[in-house]
Amino acid sequence: MIGPDFPRLTATNHRITSLATTDYNCIAWATGDTTFWWQPGVHWPIPADASAVGIDSLVNALSAIEYELCNDGSIEPGFEKVALYGISSQLFYTHAARQLRNGKWTSKMGGAEDIEHDDPNDVSGGLYGNIVHFMRRVIKTESP
Amino acid sequence: MSISVAERPKVPVDIGNAFIQLATEWKSKSRYLSNTAQMALMRPYQRIIGMGPAVVPFILAELECEPNQWFWALEAITGENPVPAESAGNVREMARAWIEWGQSSGVYPQ
Repeated sequence: MIGPDFPRLTATNHRITSLATTDYNCIAWATGDTTFWWQPGVHWPIPADASAVGIDSLVNALSAIEYELCNDGSIEPGFEKVALYGISSQLFYTHAARQLRNGKWTSKMGGAEDIEHDDPNDVSGGLYGNIVHFMRRVIKTESP
Repeated sequence: MSISVAERPKVPVDIGNAFIQLATEWKSKSRYLSNTAQMALMRPYQRIIGMGPAVVPFILAELECEPNQWFWALEAITGENPVPAESAGNVREMARAWIEWGQSSGVYPQ
């Protein structure tokens, strides 16, 4: 995983926390789901065309499940946060990461493993582009 | 602008080997991606779609061995979508629905 695709990942700022699986993707994992591969037009919390694959589509989807935009990735008691990533020159959202209770972050790396990383920016700057938004929702149940 | 027959890309004689080569390249390049549309627009995936109906049995065999995001290609090539609504997004159930479609339509061996 360390390399040009993830120029900010180092041997010490992340840890692999699962086996690789294509059962679910980063969007599912960010919301606490390990059953589905979330994709507009296939499995998405709101009706959406399969071509709605931009960052706005992701914001709308997460808004439908009680997330709201927030300013940053700092810890706020009572809230769980996600970071949304995209590449400005492309049309796609690329990734979502979820804040853990301990202030670190967890990412499902596409069809590969889950990792825990120290900072949301650890997976930015390469394949995923940069953080475009942070969102938060009130914690109701513990995510995996 | 038209392209003469001689200039058109040649269809690989050995579809199976061509598929394996392209699928391996696609899996490597898309390994860390989560947006299926982004994955499907990658060159090796588009070349697989361009191979047409002859590649469908190879995609189904790959799905049976290792479920992955081949559904976009299968739908694009065949014009079908045999996945029940309740299974949409469940990769293993989607794979099973496509394999059963292949078997019932005679495209893929029982």
